[in-house]
Amino acid sequence: MIEFWPWVPILSLAFVWLAWRRLLAYLRYFQQEGYEALRFLRWTGIRSLTDPAFWVAVASGFLYLLDPLLAVVLFTVGAVVLALVQPDPRATGKIRLRLTWRARRVAGVALVLALSAFVLLVRVFVDIEVRAPLVAAAFLFAGLPLALVVANGVLAPYERHVQHTYYAQAVTQLARVHPAVIGITGSYGKSSSKAMLAHMLQFHAPTLAASGSINTVMGVTRHIREELVPGHAFMVVEMGAYAVGSISRLCALTPPSAGLITAVGDMHLERFGSTDAILRAKRELAQALPAGGVLVCNADSPNALRIAEMTRQCRVLLYGEQHQGPLDTRVEGIRFTRQGTHFVLRTQERAYDCFTPLLGRPIILNLAGSFTLAVALGADPEVTVASLRTLKPVSNRLEVVEDAGVTWIRDAYNSNQFGFRAALEVAADLPATRRFMVTPGVIELGAEQAPVNRALSAAAAHVCDYTLVVSDTNRQAYVDGHRDAGREDRLVVVPNRTEAFRWLHDHLHDGDIVILENDLPDLYEGTAGVFWPASARRPS
Amino acid sequence: MSGQTGANGRPTIAVMFGGRSLEHDVSVVSGLQILHALDPARFAPMPIYIDQQTRWWVGDDLWHTETFKGGGPDRSGLIEVTLSPGFGSSALVPVDPMHVLPGAGRTLSGVTRAGGGSVPVDCFVPVLHGTYGEDGCVQGALELGGCAYVGCGVMASAIGMNKRATKIMAAHAGVPIVRWLSCERAVLERGHAWLAEYPARVTDSFGWPVIVKPCNLGSSAGVSVAHSADELISGLLTVFEYDVEAIIEPFIKNRLEINVAVAGLDEPVASVTEMPVTSQETPLTFAEKYRRQGRKSIGSSEGMAGALRVLDPDQLPVELRANAQRYAVAVFATLGCEGISRIDFLIDADTNELFFNEINTLPGSLAFYLWSAAPHHWTITDLLARLIDRATRLRAMKRGLQRRPPAELKLLGEGRSG
Repeated sequence: MIEFWPWVPILSLAFVWLAWRRLLAYLRYFQQEGYEALRFLRWTGIRSLTDPAFWVAVASGFLYLLDPLLAVVLFTVGAVVLALVQPDPRATGKIRLRLTWRARRVAGVALVLALSAFVLLVRVFVDIEVRAPLVAAAFLFAGLPLALVVANGVLAPYERHVQHTYYAQAVTQLARVHPAVIGITGSYGKSSSKAMLAHMLQFHAPTLAASGSINTVMGVTRHIREELVPGHAFMVVEMGAYAVGSISRLCALTPPSAGLITAVGDMHLERFGSTDAILRAKRELAQALPAGGVLVCNADSPNALRIAEMTRQCRVLLYGEQHQGPLDTRVEGIRFTRQGTHFVLRTQERAYDCFTPLLGRPIILNLAGSFTLAVALGADPEVTVASLRTLKPVSNRLEVVEDAGVTWIRDAYNSNQFGFRAALEVAADLPATRRFMVTPGVIELGAEQAPVNRALSAAAAHVCDYTLVVSDTNRQAYVDGHRDAGREDRLVVVPNRTEAFRWLHDHLHDGDIVILENDLPDLYEGTAGVFWPASARRPS
Repeated sequence: MSGQTGANGRPTIAVMFGGRSLEHDVSVVSGLQILHALDPARFAPMPIYIDQQTRWWVGDDLWHTETFKGGGPDRSGLIEVTLSPGFGSSALVPVDPMHVLPGAGRTLSGVTRAGGGSVPVDCFVPVLHGTYGEDGCVQGALELGGCAYVGCGVMASAIGMNKRATKIMAAHAGVPIVRWLSCERAVLERGHAWLAEYPARVTDSFGWPVIVKPCNLGSSAGVSVAHSADELISGLLTVFEYDVEAIIEPFIKNRLEINVAVAGLDEPVASVTEMPVTSQETPLTFAEKYRRQGRKSIGSSEGMAGALRVLDPDQLPVELRANAQRYAVAVFATLGCEGISRIDFLIDADTNELFFNEINTLPGSLAFYLWSAAPHHWTITDLLARLIDRATRLRAMKRGLQRRPPAELKLLGEGRSG
């Protein structure tokens, strides 16, 4: 029997190092979930119990009964090896950990908390259990995600203070520059509409729009502080609705004089509970518009049309393709080619022959909405139509890339069923030898998720020669959908994206089209990459 | 060299890179090359990173390419500085006075701070491409600080950045140029009549196809070839996203490009000619020009030094090459350039006519690959030493100019001296 205590420092060092690495690994997901404790914990679940670090601690604890020295060596070596093989969350994964000041604060406080808990546990167990450090380590590894949550809670008052300061600065800057704010909301198409509207408006007057999908109060606050300068005549703000009231809060920060509602559907139904709640959330934009303002709505979306009908205080314009009633801008004659889309925009006055390098029916519809609003804000319609030719496809949003004889329709950033169907439609229109689709399906649809994916699966089966369904999230729905279509043999089930690409690599030929549809956050793709390195990288 | 204040008595040479232009990344690649090429036995090199907000940063991290990958360097390891106010101080001071508190003896980028937390700089080397760096803005700031700096002054930088002004100057120097039409962004404020007007003007002036490019940008960003009215308008709108003026030129279908660098030593010296290897159909795109190596990260890119080229292309007549060198020196002298400029020419392969195309007053990698070849065989290290020496002497010359106003300008009496 050896004396245990000399080993404690070595053991503790190994523990601290691994705990720090693990904290960063978990922090990536906490950050992805916007530091929302509940969403993060839902993802975490019992994941920390699958952490090999936990099991190394437990195993060392049992081994200690047989051979204390070996147990200490096992734990130390195990912890060091696990810390070494863990991928760096700052450099790997689809959405990487960004070490912002807030992330550092949270990680730092969490580490202090974890260490204090470790010391406390050792002291508690020390009298009843000679293996106290190993027991404490096991508890700590199991509870590490909680350390982040608690750290975030401890820091909450400070974060609120910082945010208040920034908010006040943004309000001051906005009052100084005083641009006409255009709010854009909708269940999907917000980011692309924002980019298109900003593109059209820039030829009319200096326009500011965030390049990414910044759509929260803090995101917009930061954007104003960093980018808004005197001279900006327009500011296009994407207004995300995460709950009833989120758009109102954005409108309080940036009171809009114009609004665009792209479509109101069932996106994020999980968060809202009902379609009616989504409608109320989106309507907040229309309600915030002043008497002289203008609201542009997608008449093809019944809910957006209802918001238009409910809005009385300002000018309301409608655009669409299917809607039977009168429209201010109607989309006609959509035709897809590899280079882009040909279509006609018919206004009350005349028809414009248009071409844009962008693809996809919803995109063209959003484009009609942006066109309607841009013209309503004073842009020259003919210059605006000319500017459609110089729109650049957004990376991974129905972006067509030719590579060594294969056409890739990259739509990884799309995440809704309408975009899914739009990608299929484009793929069906383009000439091809064979068509493939790689997708994990769509998510966040609550009870609708299985039936929606089943229907999408059947639609994919009709267009594609092979569909590769990635991960277990929606696997059963795709199996069912392909069975409905009578094409079970054309469904390939793969565990992850890497395997999907491996399969494609073996099967693709010249003239094939591959649709890369939706790409779930790492959250939904199992534990690969959290504790262990992912087996291979995705080819670009 | 005066004021040898750097570590171990070596003069501090501040290499400036980054900047608020589309060519930020290219500048970082070039800047790091220059930084590492400075002779450490003779100079104390110091990197200054200028970010997209035109804030200046110093710090040891700036020596490494890795620092710049993935959205710019981590500012927490850097110290923000600004030029010390007051003519002739030629020093950097931290923006945040907190950074002064550790006191003297703390080192800033390998240079021991003198008293007051300021770091004297003996010579600046701007390696900034494009707007707010190559166009005279930074040069103007350095003039206000009375600093010595390598490269063109305010006037030559400003003219060199403007393709229209450069053409006029080149034509004045007797150098053949390609005809052009200018289209100002202000047309956007006058409805849509221009949508029909400019295609008509092109048809009347020189016909199709044409090349459309920004008047005030370096590199190939925003450049396109238009074969039709639609493409012309698209090209103009693309330019107007970045610039206030577009230049339209006839597109020479069977064209070759040939470049010459000129070094402003005691006499301007022309380098050997080079021919960039590119497709004949379209001009060099940004990606072709800077990412020829097929990798997208700036780390694996070698900037202009990495593009494919033929030095002293012997398939071209000797006379053509000699003319290019002669014209290059003429343009360099007429604009009043300093440092190293690269002057680009077009050759109409059907007629063997040579045309001045554009000047880069701060070419990528300072075009060192043209100097390391025959007949000069200058290393970039030697060339930099000579340019720094000349910059220092030029500054001394300017400092030595008479600043006492003549009697008729002394309106407020005696007692005021410069």
